[in-house]
Amino acid sequence: MGTLDYVWMGIQAVFQGPELFSIFGVSISVTLIMILGGFLTGIAVGATPGLAGPIAMAIALPILISVFGYTPDALLPVMGFLIGVMKGATIGGAVPAILFNTPGTPDAYMTTLDGYPMTKRGKAAKALRVAHFSSASGDTFSDIVLIVCAPFLALLVEAYLDLPEKTALLILSLSFIAAAIGGSPAKGLLSTGLGLLIAFVGTGEDFYPRLSLGSPMLNQGFPIATSVLGVLIIGAVFKEMETLWRQRQSRDIASDIRIEGDQRLHWADIRRLLPYVGRSAVIGTAIGALPGIGSTLAATLGYTVGRSRHARTKTEGRPDFGEGAPEGIAATEAANSSVSGANLIPVLSLGIPGNAAAVFLILAAESIGGFNPGPSVFRFTADTVNPELVIAFGLFTAMMIANLLNWTIGGVFMRSMGVMVRIPKHILLPAVLLLTLTAIYVQETRMEAIWFALGFGVLGYFMRVLAISPLPFVIAFILGGNLEESARQAFAATGGDPWFLFTSPIAALFMLASVGVIVFTARKTKERS
Amino acid sequence: MAGKSSSNLILGLCILIFAAVLLGVWIPADVQTGLIEKVRRQVTVGDALAPTVAGLFLLLSGVLLVTVERQAEGQPRLDLRNLGFTAGMVALIFVSLIVMRWSGPLAVGIVNVLGDGDLEYRLLRDTAPWKFLGYFVGGTLMISGCVAMVEGRIRLRAVLVSALAVLTMIAIYDLPFDDLILPPNGDV
Repeated sequence: MGTLDYVWMGIQAVFQGPELFSIFGVSISVTLIMILGGFLTGIAVGATPGLAGPIAMAIALPILISVFGYTPDALLPVMGFLIGVMKGATIGGAVPAILFNTPGTPDAYMTTLDGYPMTKRGKAAKALRVAHFSSASGDTFSDIVLIVCAPFLALLVEAYLDLPEKTALLILSLSFIAAAIGGSPAKGLLSTGLGLLIAFVGTGEDFYPRLSLGSPMLNQGFPIATSVLGVLIIGAVFKEMETLWRQRQSRDIASDIRIEGDQRLHWADIRRLLPYVGRSAVIGTAIGALPGIGSTLAATLGYTVGRSRHARTKTEGRPDFGEGAPEGIAATEAANSSVSGANLIPVLSLGIPGNAAAVFLILAAESIGGFNPGPSVFRFTADTVNPELVIAFGLFTAMMIANLLNWTIGGVFMRSMGVMVRIPKHILLPAVLLLTLTAIYVQETRMEAIWFALGFGVLGYFMRVLAISPLPFVIAFILGGNLEESARQAFAATGGDPWFLFTSPIAALFMLASVGVIVFTARKTKERS
Repeated sequence: MAGKSSSNLILGLCILIFAAVLLGVWIPADVQTGLIEKVRRQVTVGDALAPTVAGLFLLLSGVLLVTVERQAEGQPRLDLRNLGFTAGMVALIFVSLIVMRWSGPLAVGIVNVLGDGDLEYRLLRDTAPWKFLGYFVGGTLMISGCVAMVEGRIRLRAVLVSALAVLTMIAIYDLPFDDLILPPNGDV
């Protein structure tokens, strides 16, 4: 089995998977339809203020697993749908940002700065076209980088990192995520520490389930769905509801959008936008490849870099950034969209989720079984077929199909989604709450799970109130078990050497970097204050 | 929200106390093996090591909050009115879940009293309309209650929209799938 054989098998797994129907004798696989369904759902969800890709993924996952079951055949349809949602939500977020000055997703905030002024000038359709072109370009670039880099990174990890180095790498990832997210290393460490602690409740190798307080409820630990959905989704719903209650006013939404003049995107426009799209795509991809750093930072950096270029090169009469410059939309949308593909680099090559969407892909893989994201996926076995590698190339194929859909029908569908902003948020959010609780119950089928989720929701709410990012909590919760297992194996493999994390130069370097990144960001924080 | 606030200091002190209790009391009392164990002359990692690492993360976080980030700018200020609203919402959800849990058995009990029957909810929990009763009543109460709290008033339209939303969820989760069980029917 050569590399190209695996690539071809991955493509075949998508196109020749279980047939849903056929048109003129041509078989249409269920995976293709799921990618399309996920993509359209994602655009609609992204275009709805108050919803986001992870919410749709959380609600859809138990339904999808129920439809497709727990067999390896379910992996590509289910993960294809989730990838479609992830990509669709990225471009959907720009719609209300441009049309109504309301970002559909947090990373689309910078899009409002130039998108809404263009709408007020009667150029709404053109602004949407700019957003779509830039978003699709950034996304495609990022996916190509993912497809090229992830296998190489995984091969490097497998070739050079042994158990102690892998343990040290997990510690470095957690340390980096704690330091990088939210601008406060102390709060990042708090979130990470809580996530680890919760992951260790009710688990362990001894007969007694540790930290269970003798309670039968805690004997099996906290189900992954309750903690992840509780902190990420229910906590967000509580915070949003509180904000709505504080405002207690419905925002006026312009009922008529004026369309004036030429709305098409010409080749001259594209040539002018390309330098901005290119720079932002590189920025977004670089940021996305680092676990934990989100698309909002990428959008801000892309916009800032674009603005300084625009100030240098702008011709007389063209609007500045912040006054309706198409280049501003391009810089933002290319940056935040190019995060999504690159964010899967640490997931697929290291098994470390970098953002909320990646968390749900890992959840899907763990729930269904047969695919464990990490360096072992990319074992190019010559004599036997590595089914995980076929799935990995199937996922890459699914991403490229989603890109193709984005370039072809994405723009048209996106431009029709302006109506989603009219859904009242204060009715939508409680419905999302009940849907999330239901999604948890149908997976766990016990009321305890709902109580746990509610408790984690309260925790997630307080984390948001106290400006503590919940993402390190979720990532630490997911990685906690792997970290302990890896440490146990490394300790045993080194003959019980208590310094196993410091005896090899690479592991020692990772550990030094783990401490260094916390010290560096803490010093930066102190200087700022 | 932002402004001169000592929330980092208070949070840091709370975390330091929690980390001290975790490392000094909870882990020693509630984990059966130590940091390192010797089993059949083989040294292995004990169950206490991983929670201790988590505790050290919390301890370091508390130290940083109290020292380095004590004076950090833009510290959030806790607003008791907002917290009160969220506490009310959590209480509403709690009541809705209790209603969800007991509506079905209560309805069966009432039917038994009125009709002198001998029905048992446990045996009816896979039969429409009984199996939808708790989810419909509790779910409608949850959604319409949350809407009423945000709007500051109860509107019939909001209740109807909530009921419609719950019916849609029943249609999504229950009608197409035999193996999906709506709350609370999995463990009554």
